Amino acid sequence: MSLVDLWPWLESLPLAAAIGESWWFPLLESIHVLTATFLVGSILMVDLRLLGLAATTYPVSRVVRETVPWTYSASVISVITGLGLFITRASHYVDNRAFQIKLVLLVLAGLNMAVFHLATARGMAHRDDAAMTSTGARFAGASSLLLWVGVMLAGRWIGHLN
Amino acid sequence: MPHVLTDIARSLMQSPIHTFALYLLSNVPGFPPVIQTVHILGVTAIMASIVMIDLKVLGLALPSQGTAELVHRLMPWMWWALPAQAISGLTLVLARPLRYAVNPVFGLKFTMLVPAILLAALFHLTSIKDPLFWERSSGRRVSARLIAGLSLLLWVGVVFAGRWIAYADYLFAME
Repeated sequence: MSLVDLWPWLESLPLAAAIGESWWFPLLESIHVLTATFLVGSILMVDLRLLGLAATTYPVSRVVRETVPWTYSASVISVITGLGLFITRASHYVDNRAFQIKLVLLVLAGLNMAVFHLATARGMAHRDDAAMTSTGARFAGASSLLLWVGVMLAGRWIGHLN
Repeated sequence: MPHVLTDIARSLMQSPIHTFALYLLSNVPGFPPVIQTVHILGVTAIMASIVMIDLKVLGLALPSQGTAELVHRLMPWMWWALPAQAISGLTLVLARPLRYAVNPVFGLKFTMLVPAILLAALFHLTSIKDPLFWERSSGRRVSARLIAGLSLLLWVGVVFAGRWIAYADYLFAME
């Protein structure tokens, strides 16, 4: 099955109809908004610390360690609810420019996070307590901030395009 | 009460500020999603401040950070977010006041928002006077947990109601 066949197939699933034709759609969307704001909120706490704008008396590693579980849990729920919304009109969403931009920004935000956790964060252990972080860490914080604002803007824009 | 709201809405519709807000939303390309995103980013700040503090008080989040210190550090984000929420929200309401006045979910949202803000203020003000206020006795510790639990439920309710205003439109549209 090619991708072109995948989208109508997803829409034809009984689950897609069950969500799309009932109060499940608004319910899933409300949960999606709730967990997305929480997810971005927990990321902002880290980003602002990396930028030296908040929680400067706390070591970076501690802020990261205590917010990451919330970031991951909220991500999992956001992805599941997002998929539930997506399958109701899959072929419509893949053609939606705002949706396409949102996915690209999500991938970039994910890569940014992976690079930070796998490389930058490891190299900054010796200055964990410093209010002012390394240039790489500040870059990670700033790009994360911008990418997630972009994800929210693109996400909100999906419903405005037909 | 609904009559009062619709009366206010009707008089707002005579005001130039209504004309201006409606003009912005109808004629500036991208204005509606941008203003909604500003509003959602404000919610993000609420999540990273009062909601995180609620989770902390309930013993669920940020174990190594002290409650009083967290309140001191995070609450300003909430107090700065609220005016941004009021401005972005008012822009939407002023453009179509009647739409919101007749929408019961809009009323429900504010019924939950007002006590949520009051609880946050109570928690913040008592912590300013005495950083350990909520930890001085077992009774206060229990009260703090009850307040945090209620606050958490109210904020979740506010976000849900905010999202459902648009859905309720289909059911209660009058314009």
